[in-house]
Amino acid sequence: MAEHVLTEGRRRARRASGRLNREQSWLGYALVLPVLMCLLLLVFYPFVFAIWISFTDRMVGRPGRFVGFANFAYLFGQASFQATVRNTIVLVGSVQVLKLVFGLGIAVLLNQPIRGRSFWRALVLLPWAMPAFVAYLTWKLLYAPQGGAFNMIVLGLGLSNTHIDFLSTRAWAMPSVVVATFWRGFPFWVISFLAAMQNISTEMYEAAAIDGAGAWQRFRHITLPSIRHVILVVVLLSTIWTTNGFENIWLMTQGGPSDTTMTFPVLAYFGMQSLRLGEAAAVSVAMLPIFAMLVLIVAKLLQED
Amino acid sequence: MIGRARLRYQIMNYSLLSLLAVVILFPIYYMVIISLKLPRDIYRKPSLLPINPTLRNYRDLLVRDEFLINILNSLIVAGLATLISVAISSMAAYSLVRLKYRFRTTIGRLILLAYLTPSALLFIPLSVIIAQMRLGNTLHGLIFVYLTFAAPLSTWLLMGFFRGIPFDLEEQAMVDGATRVQAMVYILLPLSAPGLIAVSVFTFTGAWNELLLALIFITSPDKQTVPVALQYLITGDVFRWGLIMAGSVVAALPVMVVYYLAQRFVVQGLAAGAVKG
Repeated sequence: MAEHVLTEGRRRARRASGRLNREQSWLGYALVLPVLMCLLLLVFYPFVFAIWISFTDRMVGRPGRFVGFANFAYLFGQASFQATVRNTIVLVGSVQVLKLVFGLGIAVLLNQPIRGRSFWRALVLLPWAMPAFVAYLTWKLLYAPQGGAFNMIVLGLGLSNTHIDFLSTRAWAMPSVVVATFWRGFPFWVISFLAAMQNISTEMYEAAAIDGAGAWQRFRHITLPSIRHVILVVVLLSTIWTTNGFENIWLMTQGGPSDTTMTFPVLAYFGMQSLRLGEAAAVSVAMLPIFAMLVLIVAKLLQED
Repeated sequence: MIGRARLRYQIMNYSLLSLLAVVILFPIYYMVIISLKLPRDIYRKPSLLPINPTLRNYRDLLVRDEFLINILNSLIVAGLATLISVAISSMAAYSLVRLKYRFRTTIGRLILLAYLTPSALLFIPLSVIIAQMRLGNTLHGLIFVYLTFAAPLSTWLLMGFFRGIPFDLEEQAMVDGATRVQAMVYILLPLSAPGLIAVSVFTFTGAWNELLLALIFITSPDKQTVPVALQYLITGDVFRWGLIMAGSVVAALPVMVVYYLAQRFVVQGLAAGAVKG
């Protein structure tokens, strides 16, 4: 008898929860639908479409036909594409190393018992709170041969007796772009690292200090291991964004002089302006394998959080 | 001894901080003083100081109807993109965090992947799609396109914020007879106000600052947003730096004010590993 009541109750509960589940899934799909539709139309469909276009000779206003790997073969033979690959490695590599070293250093500095810490944190956020296009227009001005601050300083200190055209000289263009890109991007790193460092318990540092560990040892054996995960996520996320940055190159050098600062997005943009969509799409798609790898790793890391 | 070591340490800290302040502030300072100079002072009397400051550049810029229209366009596009994005993303985030159904983990993963996909990869196919939908060179087309980055970012961030709010309160309200939607609107959303503010700030500034997509989709001057209009000022032969910098200051000001008002929330969102840098 008691058993019967129990199963009856259980059955009733199951029926109720089934109804609840149906209601939940109905509502769930309904609420997620608008965002899902947007993403299907604006992200996933274009993504697949880009790959398709890169295998056709599509032009603006003409559908084009399938040409296999012709666009990629053509592209890989182009000097400007080879320069783009090299530049991207140099630009992203050096900017990320600078951001990592200075990002960690500045975060450690701001994590000290200093007066007015919130003021300093707000100050560090400034370059990043500025719109990217404003930051890069300003740096273009700083580098300008006429009216630019850096030339005034260089000439004033007697470091050079002629104007240096930083952004139009082959030797100077890339380092100049690297510095500007670093300036705009480092706050994100500092703030992320600082937030992670503030979660480390002070007891660990005190214990280490009692054991006679110096500042470097404390950083190496306590700080670094504790924020390892955040460092990894920030490095990967920022690498995706820096590789795909458009404003820095477009506003400062447009890829010049003679392709010394050409990057993927700018090359693809020029390709689109020449109306040859197949080749332009091939530029973006060519970096897809590396990009996909990065994205899958970050996605996994972020979902673990 | 210890006192002296500590003093030396403090001096080192504050000198490094001052150096940092100079590196951060100098470009901003230079942007502002050049915006206050006329061409003849910029070129003939080069100086790092604000000599003969004048508001002429700002006047020249703001009496030009085009620039006021650019600002209005930017406000419309960024404002509406934010409203739409936050509305549909709160719904999606609620669904993915609070409701249990079959494909919700898959959908959550898709949203994360979409958020990580940069628009530099998508602009070529998007240009074809937008042309086919006859949305090219319209502000509503641009708003629509901005959902590519706004919707996944907002949804991903809001999911994090919603997850941090215990379900008990909503459950209690539902036991007391509120519907699920009422519980969301009257309990969850007000409690997530900091999250909603952070997400709105990120979406608004993201749209206000966006250059690449606006450059591609907007072709006529009367539809241009501020970044597009300013980048056309540097493609001429002679750079009118005073004017360009005045425009930059005007473009940066609203965004930076918003950032500072919402700094606490912004840092919270940033700590969630959220935003481009």
